[in-house]
Amino acid sequence: MEKVELVSYFNESLFIPALRARTKEGVLEELVERFVEAKFLRNQTIALEMVHRREQLGSTGIGHGIAIPHGRTTAASEVMIAFGCSKSGVDWQAMDGKPVHLVFMVLAPPQELNNRYLPILGRLVEVLSEAHHRDKFHSVSTYSDFINLLKS
Amino acid sequence: MSGKIKTQIEFLVALQDLDLMIKEIEEVKELGFEVKGEGLSSLTRARDELVQKIKKPLLAAYERLRNRYKRAIVPVKDDNCLGCFMKLPTSITAHGRTDKEVLVCENCGRILYWLT
Repeated sequence: MEKVELVSYFNESLFIPALRARTKEGVLEELVERFVEAKFLRNQTIALEMVHRREQLGSTGIGHGIAIPHGRTTAASEVMIAFGCSKSGVDWQAMDGKPVHLVFMVLAPPQELNNRYLPILGRLVEVLSEAHHRDKFHSVSTYSDFINLLKS
Repeated sequence: MSGKIKTQIEFLVALQDLDLMIKEIEEVKELGFEVKGEGLSSLTRARDELVQKIKKPLLAAYERLRNRYKRAIVPVKDDNCLGCFMKLPTSITAHGRTDKEVLVCENCGRILYWLT
């Protein structure tokens, strides 16, 4: 898998250090809502339906307290990633059964010129599979700390 | 474009969407994400049903092109093939919306369709 620089796919307006929602459905809605507020999504309903459909196909909770809900939607015009942290944890029916604390939502348009979507997903999984890296995301409170962590 | 040809092209576009979706789900699964077997098999079943509706020579052409390109059937925009981005000759563009045959790009060979 091609190594991708992830930083450029994040945006401060898509950074939520303390999620309000306490359920999986609530977190999905909160993140999609943020995409719309930040004008990275044209339609909340279409995108939300897509992420729900994706969850039905199999949980995006990849274990170790991390979920990466993802998918392509006509409501998106570019690939972007939102980050949300839940201090209390959310039941995500994850692979290891553990509650999810870190959520990275990756949304992409149906077609993109450079086909970055899968390499981005792959790189995200790779970065988050490193335990020392993963643990540090729990304590980030500012966007600049978050980006520095991604760059490290 | 005659009704029957238009319908065949629409089936082919739907088949390509389904094929790209199945391929991407398989790739996502390879990354370590959970994908339930029934989810994937429902898409495969939909593909099997769709394939029955497409004429064999057209399907064979699509499958041949699919081995070569990610997208075997591509739209035409501003008289350009959106597969190879070459300008299409007027012999093709003039017949694009009205002809009774499936048209292909003379440069890359991809099957063409016109957005209505």
